[in-house]
Amino acid sequence: MNSFEPKIIGFLCNWCSYAGADLAGVSRFQYSPNIRVIRVMCSTRISPNLVLEVFKSGADGVIVGGCHIGDCHYMTGNYYTDKRMKLTKELVELAGIEPERLALEWISASEGEKFARVVTEFVDRIRHLGPIPTKNDQKLMKRLEAAAEASKLFRLRLLSGKELRLTGKGNVYGEMIEAEKMDEILDSAVNDEYDRSLILELTKNNALSVKELASEIGKSAEATLGHVATLRARNLLSICSIDGFTPRYKAIRLGGA
Amino acid sequence: MERSVLVVGSGVAGIQASLDLADKGVIVHLVEKDPSIGGRMAQLDKTFPTNDCSICILAPKMADCYGHPNINVLTYSELIGLDGHKGRFKAKVLKKARYVDESKCTGCGECLVKCPTKGIPSEFEMGLSTRRAIYMPFLQAVPRVATIDREHCKHLTEGKCGVCKKVCKREAIDYEMKDAVLEFEVGAVIVATGFDVWNPMVASEYGYGRFPNVFIAMEYERIINAAGPTSGHIRRRSDGGEPRTIAFIQCVGSRNVQLNHPYCCSVCCMHSTKEAMLAKEHKDDVKTTIFYKDMRACAKGFYEYVVRAQRDYNVEYVNSDATVQEETEDHNPVVSFDVGGRSVRKEFDMVVLATSLVPRATNAQLSKVLGVQLDEFGFIKSKDRIFSPVETNVPGIYVAGYCGGPADIPESVAQGSAAAAKAAETLVEARVFA
Amino acid sequence: MKEDIRIGVFVCHCGTNIGGFVDVPSVVEYSRTLPGVIYATGNLYTCAEDGLASIRDAIKEHHLNRVIVASCTPRTHAPLFQGVCEEAGLNKYLFTFVNIREHCSWVHMKEGPKATEKAKDLVRMGVARAQLLEPKEEARIDVEPKALVIGGGISGMVAATSIANHGFPVYLVEKEADFGGFVRNLNNLYLGGKDATEMLKPIVDQVTSNKNIIKCLKSKVAGVDGFIGNYQVALDVDGKEVKDKVGVIVLATGADEYVPEGLFGYDLYENVVTLTEFEILCKRKTLPKISSIAFIQCVGSRGHVKSYCSRICCNVAIKNALNIAENYQNILGKDERGAVVEKVGVDMKAPEEIAERRRRRRGRRDREGGEEEAEAPAPSEGIEIAIFNRDIMSYGLEHELNYNKAREKHVRFVRYSPANPPKVYTENGKLVVDYWHDTLKLQRKMNVDMIVLSTPLVSPPSAPGISKLLKVPLGQDGFFLEAHVKLRPVDFATDGIFVCGTAKGPADITECVFQAQAAASRAAIPLARGYVQAEALTAIVDADICTGCGTCIEVCPYGALRKNMDGVAEVIVAACKGCGCCGATCPEGAIDLSHYTDSQLLAEAKAALQEAIQ
Repeated sequence: MNSFEPKIIGFLCNWCSYAGADLAGVSRFQYSPNIRVIRVMCSTRISPNLVLEVFKSGADGVIVGGCHIGDCHYMTGNYYTDKRMKLTKELVELAGIEPERLALEWISASEGEKFARVVTEFVDRIRHLGPIPTKNDQKLMKRLEAAAEASKLFRLRLLSGKELRLTGKGNVYGEMIEAEKMDEILDSAVNDEYDRSLILELTKNNALSVKELASEIGKSAEATLGHVATLRARNLLSICSIDGFTPRYKAIRLGGA
Repeated sequence: MERSVLVVGSGVAGIQASLDLADKGVIVHLVEKDPSIGGRMAQLDKTFPTNDCSICILAPKMADCYGHPNINVLTYSELIGLDGHKGRFKAKVLKKARYVDESKCTGCGECLVKCPTKGIPSEFEMGLSTRRAIYMPFLQAVPRVATIDREHCKHLTEGKCGVCKKVCKREAIDYEMKDAVLEFEVGAVIVATGFDVWNPMVASEYGYGRFPNVFIAMEYERIINAAGPTSGHIRRRSDGGEPRTIAFIQCVGSRNVQLNHPYCCSVCCMHSTKEAMLAKEHKDDVKTTIFYKDMRACAKGFYEYVVRAQRDYNVEYVNSDATVQEETEDHNPVVSFDVGGRSVRKEFDMVVLATSLVPRATNAQLSKVLGVQLDEFGFIKSKDRIFSPVETNVPGIYVAGYCGGPADIPESVAQGSAAAAKAAETLVEARVFA
Repeated sequence: MKEDIRIGVFVCHCGTNIGGFVDVPSVVEYSRTLPGVIYATGNLYTCAEDGLASIRDAIKEHHLNRVIVASCTPRTHAPLFQGVCEEAGLNKYLFTFVNIREHCSWVHMKEGPKATEKAKDLVRMGVARAQLLEPKEEARIDVEPKALVIGGGISGMVAATSIANHGFPVYLVEKEADFGGFVRNLNNLYLGGKDATEMLKPIVDQVTSNKNIIKCLKSKVAGVDGFIGNYQVALDVDGKEVKDKVGVIVLATGADEYVPEGLFGYDLYENVVTLTEFEILCKRKTLPKISSIAFIQCVGSRGHVKSYCSRICCNVAIKNALNIAENYQNILGKDERGAVVEKVGVDMKAPEEIAERRRRRRGRRDREGGEEEAEAPAPSEGIEIAIFNRDIMSYGLEHELNYNKAREKHVRFVRYSPANPPKVYTENGKLVVDYWHDTLKLQRKMNVDMIVLSTPLVSPPSAPGISKLLKVPLGQDGFFLEAHVKLRPVDFATDGIFVCGTAKGPADITECVFQAQAAASRAAIPLARGYVQAEALTAIVDADICTGCGTCIEVCPYGALRKNMDGVAEVIVAACKGCGCCGATCPEGAIDLSHYTDSQLLAEAKAALQEAIQ
């Protein structure tokens, strides 16, 4: 007997998906009562950081609902949502949470039935995955923290913002130029920035060596050293002590933060 | 007050005209014969060439219109008289009794499920599903209030029943309500009454009404709509099965001199293309074929849309007249057409007819009330085809949308705005505005 | 220190719609336990007059500074409750709507306790949000009651006249020395009996006699800066600079005809002309005597060079075919002059580009030594007319009737496929159209005296410059891109700028007229109101954090962000729609969205997650 009742946060855009949820109500389509809906004007407003913060707060799953591509009330908003959620999924996965726990769904104002179906299926999927042990698992919490930090970083946000322009803006007819290359750039940026944020997270309180860090983040010593060098150049990490020939690093606390 | 304008018809053209005027500070009386505003566009599933969801983009406009402090929305009403002249008309509007107090009804829907008088074909759903004697035409209706159909209501016809009154906790039901005649002084009038859908039962060569799996396009729009009678599943009328092959036949009753519909309806090539694409989106293994005379994909992005339909949706375009003169035993309509001068017959699971969109039958009556001329086909005639497309022969009366001749949605919207511009100019000229 | 938060919660039974499935009294009871909640009550119908009165009274009696209604959907009922709050002196942005009907009672009808639990959660989320709300004012921005219309063709003239007739001064800027634009090239309009220029005269007269129209000929727009209601424009009026402030701008810059260089013998044979060149020949009554003529449609359009269909060419070709068939205005000429096009005074043709185009072509031909001069054909009773087409686009009413009429007049309509288009060459000094007859399955030849190529309208070379100047987008076809292809056909996404006529794509003259009137109607709205009400929900830039990278400016679909004097981003409140794209994009996290701030959304989420589902 499975007694786990997942708690799902749904961010729905006012114009399509929230209206779709309303229609589900008017039509009396029944669905799992596990979702808590937060209304936003446009799905484009949902930043990766917000989603990660919601996971940190204990959500078992997050649904982001927007208008179908091309239908956005704000014209291009949901193209960015699409990009942002792709990036968010990668960060969620890097943090060690199943990426399926984040769903991006296009639901129109006439798709009440679809909304009900999406919620029920999502809740079933999450129920099957079980709870995220956020509260008890310090390591997971640290990784989530790192992912949330990485999502705030200049480089990732800049890339996801510029991606449309870099790959050619999708036009009103839904035609877009696909750019695998852009995905690759973004992919590696996400990985790198996540690793770096995790290093900062791990060295917040403890001074660690490159070797220790490498084993913690599960990357080669060489790659880890590269990240350490970058973080030092960014003035975020410093040598705390030298243990024989092994330097130990610690995150530099930024004022106020 | 003459600083106001009467708009007849609340489809997308009438809504646009009303909003433009109201935003300028003009008082608008918007008269709609049906219980809800929204018109034809509210019935459509998606719109070409962007496949935008029709009600999703229209509903905010409907809400804006109903909530606008300068717009007096009169649903379930008809214009019955107009006197006076440009700058100073006196309009008489018949507000039909809906037997429900609009100010009390919350649209909760309790009465709609309790009313025992069932089985009345739903006008909004093109008769594909039924409603009760008390009803709301569709879920997103504006205003969201119920209406009692006096023809069918047991209480109004036989003095029995009274269930709706019992279940309504807001005491919104009023069987004693009477039709009312309202009078307004207005400076200008905009006519935007839209079109009727021609009934192809008149022409037996298309099999509509004879063969269950022959549909008209407006029915199909409801069938593919997620909020429609089949929840968006394409179903045959004969057995409820999902079709694997669908034929779309163009120019059914239009471009036809014998029927006095020699005109082209302007929208069917595109809506059939859209409907074929949507069939594929609903079920990937559906094969669609469009039989056409000329593929009139001639506005912004339309030709590209047809190219996409062929390339990405595998829609087959066959340049031929087509008819449906027989069906198989299991009710598959058989389409007859020509290929290179050779006559061919082919069985399909479903046929969708792009029927002619014709002037409202009520235009004759309306033209008497307003004094506006109709053209030989029944459309409201423009004063000058080239330079005054939205003006009629009567100064101060303007026309927008399909009631003045074939027009698609953006054209109807633009004409709605254009008529609003002319109406506002009239008020300025009469020195009652600005 | 901040004021005390005093929240009132009103939970609606909605008859039995909510009350039948959710235990409303227990939700009310629970609400009272939440932080900041001073007052909570249940209503049978909160939206009924007594329900509304209970809100009004409670605000006064309990000095509430936040109101929460837990009932149906904000999408229909929020304005009602916000209105009540304002009546009671509470800023409407301090109102919170909690949806426990559409999102709870109606969708969890069989869940009983779980529905009630969810309703409590939703109220708790509302309370968390309400605590962080701030009053907002919708800024009013004054509008300069003046307009600028760019382009003095039919669209620009009609738009300017309508705005002027609304009672507002309008600058009408035309680059040439006269108004009229492209239409002046045309012979007649539809099947009108008069010359197009003559028909245009009343429209031009309306412009010239209108006191509200400031006529700027030989002029162009040199600079535009600002936003709706407040555009600083610099005009170059015949060499003199004029600076002024206008509230709105209408763009009606028109289109050009595509020059079919290298297609169907256009560069090789004098008797191969474009549709507009043909109109000019007719207009000047310099059409040579011909006994046969072919029109070839879709030259350079529908995937040939341009991807789109140019909409008007079939109908223009049909009109010209009918003009020839009926020898309208004796366009075929009664005297013997000008047996071939060569002798036509093409230099006289307007506009200049067409003449220039012909001069270039003639120069090339002369260098090549010239073609044989074709002999004038003997005048015949009937002229053979053929229109080679892919589909005839005689949409609507009148065009289709003309199409029927053309067929009655024995104009031949020959369909060709793009894979096998007709070929044009000369044989014994005569032009030949060599084509595949699909019904007969035969390759056929037609000898013709003249060939008219129907080429598409194309966006003029000036379009990209104007696009940059006004910060309005061009579509992939090169034409200006409206805000929404269906419902906002003459608006740009940027408030205060409008578009009409062929600047946004091929359109016939009637369509140009009503689009122009539509653009005028839309443009007159802010002028008539005198102000624009800005959204209260806008992006807010924290100038201390912003580094001025400009990413937000790039992603904003409304052009609502710009860099200020300090080099940091600034929100143009009048233009911002509050979608929040910039905020989620800002690499520094320097932008938040008012009324939907990160902290408000997160507070809602945290409140939802505070308690596990039982």
